[in-house]
Amino acid sequence: MSGAVITGVGVVSAFGVGARCFFDGLAEGRDAVRPIRSFDASAFPVGVAGEVPVAAIDASWMAEHLDREADRQLETWAGDGILRDRKTCFALLAASEAWRSAGALEPERGAWLSIALGLEQGFLEDLARVWDGRAFDWRLGADLPRLRYRAPVDLAAECVGQALGLTGPTVVHASACAAGALAVAHAASLIERGTAEVVLCGAADSMVNPMAMGAFWRLGAPSLRREPDACRPFDRRRDGLAIGEGAAMFVVESELRARGRGRRPFARVLGWGSTQDAYRATAPRPDGAAARAAIERCLVKAGVGADRVGYINAHGTGTPLNDPAEAKAIRAALGACAGSVPVSSIKGAVGHLMAASGAIEIAASLLPFERGLLPGTAHHRELDPECDLDVIGPSPRPARVDTVLSNSFGFGGQNASVLLGRWEGDEA
Amino acid sequence: MTVAVTGWGWRTPLGASVGEAVSRLLAGERAARPSARFDTSSYRCRLGADVAGEPAPSRHHRFVRRMGLWGMEVAREAFARSGCSAGDRLGLFTGVGGLRAHWDEVMPALEGQEPDARDAWARGFRLLHPFWMLRYLSNNAHALLAAELGARGEGVTFGGATSAERALEAGVVDAAVVVAYDSLLEPETLVELGERGAATCADLPELRAPYDEAACGFVPGEAAAALVLERSSEAQGRALAWIDAASGADGEAGEPAAETIGLVAARVTRGERIVDGAGRARPPLDTAERAAIARVLGFDARLLCTSSAMGQLGAASSLVQVVALAECLGRRVLPPIAGLERAPPGHLKPVVERCHTGELAALAIATGAPGVVGVVRVEVPSRSP
Repeated sequence: MSGAVITGVGVVSAFGVGARCFFDGLAEGRDAVRPIRSFDASAFPVGVAGEVPVAAIDASWMAEHLDREADRQLETWAGDGILRDRKTCFALLAASEAWRSAGALEPERGAWLSIALGLEQGFLEDLARVWDGRAFDWRLGADLPRLRYRAPVDLAAECVGQALGLTGPTVVHASACAAGALAVAHAASLIERGTAEVVLCGAADSMVNPMAMGAFWRLGAPSLRREPDACRPFDRRRDGLAIGEGAAMFVVESELRARGRGRRPFARVLGWGSTQDAYRATAPRPDGAAARAAIERCLVKAGVGADRVGYINAHGTGTPLNDPAEAKAIRAALGACAGSVPVSSIKGAVGHLMAASGAIEIAASLLPFERGLLPGTAHHRELDPECDLDVIGPSPRPARVDTVLSNSFGFGGQNASVLLGRWEGDEA
Repeated sequence: MTVAVTGWGWRTPLGASVGEAVSRLLAGERAARPSARFDTSSYRCRLGADVAGEPAPSRHHRFVRRMGLWGMEVAREAFARSGCSAGDRLGLFTGVGGLRAHWDEVMPALEGQEPDARDAWARGFRLLHPFWMLRYLSNNAHALLAAELGARGEGVTFGGATSAERALEAGVVDAAVVVAYDSLLEPETLVELGERGAATCADLPELRAPYDEAACGFVPGEAAAALVLERSSEAQGRALAWIDAASGADGEAGEPAAETIGLVAARVTRGERIVDGAGRARPPLDTAERAAIARVLGFDARLLCTSSAMGQLGAASSLVQVVALAECLGRRVLPPIAGLERAPPGHLKPVVERCHTGELAALAIATGAPGVVGVVRVEVPSRSP
């Protein structure tokens, strides 16, 4: 056991801004994948996404959600075009919420920052405005502020650091869809080794823009259904993912330190495991062998047997190839226990947040501890026999569990599993 | 933790093989030249240190661009040299310096667009190549390389200017292939570096070296480099060198404060007398760095600057420094700071001419924004070169 605990949480999702909003959406079994509103997608083959409910972000919107006045810093970021980078805005909002919810103060400002971003398309929103400065701006009538010619890989980390006054080292993860989970695992490892006392970690991403949506379609990953149930994880009828956007950030510190500050942790980070498929860039290993190894390493690291896993928040993309491979991995790793462990995926509800998917799914994994509910699998109706697991349907399932496993299996075959544990106040 | 380096490979502006590039480094050559890859005559920064030639033909050309392909090449070379085995205990840690716009590939999707944004799909986005997304993935080379090497152990792709150091720090499996590649020689990067005043505006005749009193910015460069790391106890006689790495940051928005460099260096030093400096080529920064390092290594430690010859190499900096220092120490010679004419008096002793050394260890310093520092200690075996 690592001794690392989560003491702060912040979330931005298709349900809105804030962890409470996110937990409420999951607890009520709602879904938020809808027709795309932030640009005209009528001619695009992909027509739905899990969009954060804001069309265009400006300084006043950020100020409102950061619960502060629009100040020089926000105006500067707006002038520099940074607020057009939705993922950076989401990272700022989620990080600020996590920082507040952890009760972080001056002594915490030396925190490390372990963050994952949707690096792959960081420049796309700017590119769409670059062509002659006017040619393509899907926010019609919008002023065209300064262009940015490249997206530094650590832009969001830099802004978060400035906003919160952090002075510790920054690590930026870029391991595709496993990046968010690896950022949290990295944070816990820093705490375990005593390298850091406090780490602000998590991920943000946004690919809901014409370039990314077009490119993803060309890749063949998204469902072409133009309905809210585009993504149907583990369902026999599944035909692809729904793209989402948002962020989830956490404050991770040692249990001893949290107790010393009088903070009640949301959860323990018990263990983590990481492997690589070494198979193909475009498809997971069909036998799930490397994903299985990641789960097994995670459980070994945590010192937790398969029989003690209470719930699995699956990667569950809703693509034809991912779900059966993940089901095989879970069955192989948990053995005889696999059939009795509830499994669900939140991607049908909020979409696939890409680099941020692992982080927001770790946030979803806190729901059992916070509300006594296991998140449902939106739009899952008919179990695919190839995914022979106890898949929770669209409604959340009441249950008390003490451990939750979160899987993230990234494009390119990078796998990460993180095990969270209930923190009991009376253990103190 | 001290780990052994059992394999390496690189593609640098001074050459593709370690022997060739180090010989040119020791000869005091500079790779800087007017950009050969595109017309920079209208740019504020017009010089670059580029890797000559093109990667070997590869079936991965569909998915991975030039620097990534070189990254894969050098990783394969390093792995082959190490004699390590593939499997569940082989890790792969990749450092990439950030993604570029790749204008040539997105123009077909943008050039037909109109201000009203209607019919955007028909006007261009339908033309995107099916593999376009794959070519932009931050971990595309990593994924293909893992498959080629059979690396099924822990794997992480880091981004950022000091990602190489962090990948070194994370090398915690039995053997780890650490690869980094980066190019600062892209149009939008040159614009940004020029506007920030970080890169030099000089033409070749006026170019001054880092640590020169007339220095006015660094030369942007590019490189790919790879190391294979193993526990020292397992590497034994196969060790080409040993390294310790440390990183730190201070929250500065731009370059780190000199004090931060000193603090991070102090975490890995064992009293070395040689340091390969960050070489930012801005006299106030250079002077402060010299003073900070002198407080750790002593006021008369020898100052080298790999980047004076190869340019600033972004995420690939530290790995290139490791190979360069290890090879030079192994040959018992130190390279001059290429092009150094007048170093202001101060702390440390800049090496102005190739010289003999009996030292077996040195520090390599790399810095970047926001306020980050990486330091690697390199030591070579005492056996004769």
